[in-house]
Amino acid sequence: MIDDKLVVDQGLSAGDHWMSVAADDIRQALTALKSDGYRLLTFLTCVDHLADASRDWPARYELIYQLRNLDSREQLRVRVFVDGDPPRIDSVHDLFPPANWDERETYDLFGVVFNDHPDLSRILMPDDWVGHPLRRDYPVGGDPVEFSAEHESWQTAPEKA
Amino acid sequence: MMSTAPGVTITRTGEQGSFGGELLTVNFGPHHPSTHGVLRLIVDLDGEQIRRLKPVIGYLHTGIEKQMEALRWQQGVVVTDRHDYLSPPINNLAYALAVEKLMGVEVPPRAQALRVIMSELTRLSSHLVWLGTSGIELGAMTMLMYCFRERETILNMNEEISGYRMHTSYIRPGGVMADATPRFFEMLDRFLIEMPGHIDEYESLLTMNPIFRSRTMDIGRLSAEDAKVLGATGPMLRGSGVQWDLRKTMPYSGYENYDFEMATSDRCDCYGRYLVRIKEMREAVKILRQALDRLPDGPVNVDDRKMLPPPREELETSMEAVIHHFKLFTEGYSVPPGDVYVAVESGRGENGCYVVSDGTHKPRRVKFRSASFVNLQALEQMALNHMIADMIAIIGTADTVLGDVDR
Repeated sequence: MIDDKLVVDQGLSAGDHWMSVAADDIRQALTALKSDGYRLLTFLTCVDHLADASRDWPARYELIYQLRNLDSREQLRVRVFVDGDPPRIDSVHDLFPPANWDERETYDLFGVVFNDHPDLSRILMPDDWVGHPLRRDYPVGGDPVEFSAEHESWQTAPEKA
Repeated sequence: MMSTAPGVTITRTGEQGSFGGELLTVNFGPHHPSTHGVLRLIVDLDGEQIRRLKPVIGYLHTGIEKQMEALRWQQGVVVTDRHDYLSPPINNLAYALAVEKLMGVEVPPRAQALRVIMSELTRLSSHLVWLGTSGIELGAMTMLMYCFRERETILNMNEEISGYRMHTSYIRPGGVMADATPRFFEMLDRFLIEMPGHIDEYESLLTMNPIFRSRTMDIGRLSAEDAKVLGATGPMLRGSGVQWDLRKTMPYSGYENYDFEMATSDRCDCYGRYLVRIKEMREAVKILRQALDRLPDGPVNVDDRKMLPPPREELETSMEAVIHHFKLFTEGYSVPPGDVYVAVESGRGENGCYVVSDGTHKPRRVKFRSASFVNLQALEQMALNHMIADMIAIIGTADTVLGDVDR
């Protein structure tokens, strides 16, 4: 059973159960939940709450661990709030093997550093990429579009009209 | 460094192998004909046996999750089509269910049935692509012709119902794009009569085929325990004998009302995964027949002017309708703050969508939990100590879509 002292807060979001734990306790909490039967980590990801006015968030980055109990079919979402530059948290790849790539992806796209990860390298972006694209302060990008009004050559009449 | 076929490079490691030679690191891809898209594999070989295997992904990363944050809720549907490009309606469904759950909206029964019809047609077309390409890789050259013949019929049906052959965007938050046409039901009815015979045809080509059997039986073993620990889903998990299918275990969109069996196999190898997919195709035909026969009447969208545009004729008579129309297409609708995770069963496994809303008209975060991304992590476990030639069968039956892996 998970120790009540580890649980900072819990509740329901649109019918999904969730609990939040402190960043330092993440390994301890997930070990306890694993022994409670939540043996599958469905996914691990991060949400950037930069300039999010919908609630008073404790920190900028929220890490999400979605767990599932394959026998009772219950699901549980564990939330952890981390701050810092870069934000740091302990890796859980040895508790839940699917976390290995998920943590690499979260590092790649959000710049969250997972302590003791065996191979924390970029997974989706090229190795020499600068920046972490899913952070909210990273621009969406795209090539500038040249409109005919600002493009002289397009306004000249074609040779054969 | 030696170079052989295009896309393959070989490097000496200096490490002593058990057959008297040294271990070689062989790089496959990302542009290699047998790697299903742009998958790159770095394999350490001892003679012909695989000692280490490392998939390198990201060559098809298109930043779909970032794009979703820049689009309004109803615009995002078009992007969801494009991550698992072999099953667009199932991706739409995961996203639509997540948005609807967050908004507390329930779609009408006819829309639910149409969603089931599109999901099952997609499952069939996705399995057909898998069967055709895997057949070609394992020496059954005719499979591709047979499978793409039936897939063509499904794509024609997609065109009839939505106007698009592949990226349908048919399932949307609040319902479906439009009701199906009578011609669609005729096409579906004819297809369902013919399809069981076609599946028999595929089976007569492969199931007892000695070459196919010897190339897949006892190849790529993945025990039930390993499959669960590695988080594998879909035919990868059921091919290892685990009874887990989201349509049965956590039903959505009215799947609990259909009578079908979960396809499993205790073989735990490539052949088992093949049997599971063939059985799933037969079950999909069964579900489609039930859905077509019992299709309820009624609307196909929720009656909510704040979420979906008013009918065209109302725009000419009602000022209210014009305002709703204008607001929807300039600002869009906003979703109450909160987060939700919804998972549906695609041809490849658990296709989930985690959506976070901050109460505005654009999502704060959309995460696609793609089945291929997680299933691909089990590749090393399956391929260790097999011959290099068997790797092709193993990649084939893992059925990863690289668009789904890289998103």
